[in-house]
Amino acid sequence: MNIQLNRDDQFIDDLDSKLNNEEKLSSWDLFHMSYQSSVATSTPEFKGLTAPNHLPHVNFLQHQLDSAQQVVEEMNGRGILADEVGLGKTIEAGLILKEYMIRGLVKKALILVPASLVNQWVNELNQKFYIPAISQRKRPVWDQQNIVVTSLDTAKRPVHRDVILEQEYDFVLIDEAHKLKNHKTKNYEFVRALKKKYCLLLTATPVQNKLTDIFNLVSILKPGYLGSYDEFTKKFGRDRKNLFNDGKLKQLVQNVMVRNRREDTGIDWTKRHVKTIWVDFTEDEQEAYDELSHISRETSNFSSITYTRELCSSREACYLSLRKLVNENNELPNRDDYEAFMQRIEQLPHHAKADKVIELIQNTDEKFIIFTEYRATQFYLQWYLQQHGISSVPFRGGFKRSKKDWMRQLFENHAQVLIATEAGGEGINLQFCNNMINYDLPWNPMRLEQRIGRIHRFGQEQDVHIYNFAIRNTMEEHVLHLLYEKIKLFERVVGNLDDILADLDIGDVEKEIQSIFQESATDGEAKIKLENLSSVISYAQNQYLEEDQHGSRESS
Amino acid sequence: MALENLHEFLNDYFVANKCDILENDNGKLKVQLTDKMDEWLMNRPFYWQYVKKLGYAGEPMQVTFITNPDRRDEDGEWIHFGSPRLHQIFNTLTTQGKFTKLFEQVETAQRTALVPWLVVNFRISYTGKHKKDEIQSIGLHLINGGMKINMMDELEQLPLQSSIPDFCYTITPMIKLKSGYQRMITYIEKYLQKQEHSWAQESWDHLQEEKKLVEHFYQDSDEEEQYENRFDQEMQAVEDRYQPQINIDVINGGIFYLSQLQSTKILTE
Repeated sequence: MNIQLNRDDQFIDDLDSKLNNEEKLSSWDLFHMSYQSSVATSTPEFKGLTAPNHLPHVNFLQHQLDSAQQVVEEMNGRGILADEVGLGKTIEAGLILKEYMIRGLVKKALILVPASLVNQWVNELNQKFYIPAISQRKRPVWDQQNIVVTSLDTAKRPVHRDVILEQEYDFVLIDEAHKLKNHKTKNYEFVRALKKKYCLLLTATPVQNKLTDIFNLVSILKPGYLGSYDEFTKKFGRDRKNLFNDGKLKQLVQNVMVRNRREDTGIDWTKRHVKTIWVDFTEDEQEAYDELSHISRETSNFSSITYTRELCSSREACYLSLRKLVNENNELPNRDDYEAFMQRIEQLPHHAKADKVIELIQNTDEKFIIFTEYRATQFYLQWYLQQHGISSVPFRGGFKRSKKDWMRQLFENHAQVLIATEAGGEGINLQFCNNMINYDLPWNPMRLEQRIGRIHRFGQEQDVHIYNFAIRNTMEEHVLHLLYEKIKLFERVVGNLDDILADLDIGDVEKEIQSIFQESATDGEAKIKLENLSSVISYAQNQYLEEDQHGSRESS
Repeated sequence: MALENLHEFLNDYFVANKCDILENDNGKLKVQLTDKMDEWLMNRPFYWQYVKKLGYAGEPMQVTFITNPDRRDEDGEWIHFGSPRLHQIFNTLTTQGKFTKLFEQVETAQRTALVPWLVVNFRISYTGKHKKDEIQSIGLHLINGGMKINMMDELEQLPLQSSIPDFCYTITPMIKLKSGYQRMITYIEKYLQKQEHSWAQESWDHLQEEKKLVEHFYQDSDEEEQYENRFDQEMQAVEDRYQPQINIDVINGGIFYLSQLQSTKILTE
């Protein structure tokens, strides 16, 4: 064994020359305080986390502390953090980075996250962990000693790539690491080529499609740990399920991967109460809806299904689309019908759903988030709420970061309602609100999960109430019944729906549903097709569930 | 390891740096910074650059620090062990408090000799799979070569000042600074040799294992082109992580002139 020994040879020469030159030297007080602060900042034990002592303003959860400790002590700083969504992978990663910085082991770090999350990471590291992270802006800062947050896409651009690959990083973190599963991609090559000491990969889905995904991830951390590629596939096959079924593999992987599940955390998760609010169109509205279905079916084009859908949201949304249709299509065969219908919309009373919203919100002080699919509806609702003395602020994915923060603050401190068109406000946390109205349902269940995730997450102390609005005798009824109720999306806290859909090769549920409505001659036909779709999804879902439970049972 | 009394520490720090304390009450400290402290702590280099360029007198800030967690909602900056401000202060201290020359305060009317001591505070860091630090405070009597461990504990008991007391004179060291320092290092190295280093053995074994894995991985790899580069890089990364090493760093140190009486007492205790 060889222990490398390094001494400080500089100090005594400096002291000597300072004494000879009769320079002004430290007073006892400062000398003593300097000593005290060094004692205070040194870590006398190999094991254990010191970071939490530095962060008294954060309440860490036990599983987060355990995971961080496990990565530092047992995995020696290279591991996959694969907690289920919402358990705080970011927090675990922050703790680990902080621990290494306190111990003086990390000075220079590169943190690669999706572009939309760069600012959130920077804020969180600074505010929660007092880690002076900066985001890569126009002026490159790669070659300095610092903690830089940027996106993989930025980092691998030719202008930056070469400089970055020359750097010697003490710590590299990759968020959403499942994007690296394919070892033939540029991303994978790039991450492999980074010079790094410690390395964390964050992903909720370490094995997405093939068992070799995990091989590729582990090879970034510990090349050779799972053998060579050929050995690996020979030994463990390609079936994804083997990650949980093969005892040997499972054990190997457990040494490089931390995975917490909600049910293992021992935390009382607040409940989700999901309620469907059925709304009936007024007679006028229903007649209009039926007529529009009729007109639009006559000239079936790709967007005609949209008009009826919009009418379920607001007159305004529908009107704007129809006006566009009429203005832009000179050849429209039943133009007269459409024009007549537009006049008819103008006569319609207030939207039945909007009245329902007022009914729900008016008699309470509680805060509500309303999600709608359409901007026109957003404007309309804001106006209509104001008419009833209810204050609201708008929220859109397209807002700049600073505007989003400002709206969030207004909502927290002043307004009762936030009306959002998009869950896309990744990173906007609205835990202070625990009521959500899905004014119209997205046809893509993932988007609904994202919406709910804005409020049903860590820090939510109340039970969460989700109100799903649907109008009877319209397409909304079908979608709600068949897609949502059958998939039971609402009851499952975390859906691995995106994996399931990828497996089934369903790229975009929304398009799928759209074409079902589009291509069906009758309501009944659409209903059957929707039924089939949801059966397929829920079957795959059950398969997953079994596999997953099997995996967690064996590991505990 | 946290500071025992953070509030007192802050108070002492600002007093030692000649700042006026405007308020000091139940975990709240209001300080009038000096120009120098403002420049060091308040992170506004452009302001000071501007002021100096125009030849104006700058206006250093008044800052309120809160150390009592119960009062953290009041106006002021909450300071706790992990807060960046405290570590900024610690950083200023690593340079401010690094070198010293001090004298024991002696009340006397006769000519009194003061004995030179070299005092150095070391931080020994053991780094392998994990890392830990150890502090060693060593005093060396530069006349008779007597050595004292935990020297800071002794010094904390004595009144010390920066200038030589009246009627006192200093004895010229018999041992040169450099060779005195060398004796300390030799002492530490012997101390290290006597220790059991299972942490290093563990890390070393791990290093060999990981190296084998990397070698194996690249053995039948078809990534011919970048093979050499990659392999070397991975091996280097493994070494960086597991090569056991011990670093002996100096926190601070200096010359202390102590009375004969105290010197003898320290060495015979």
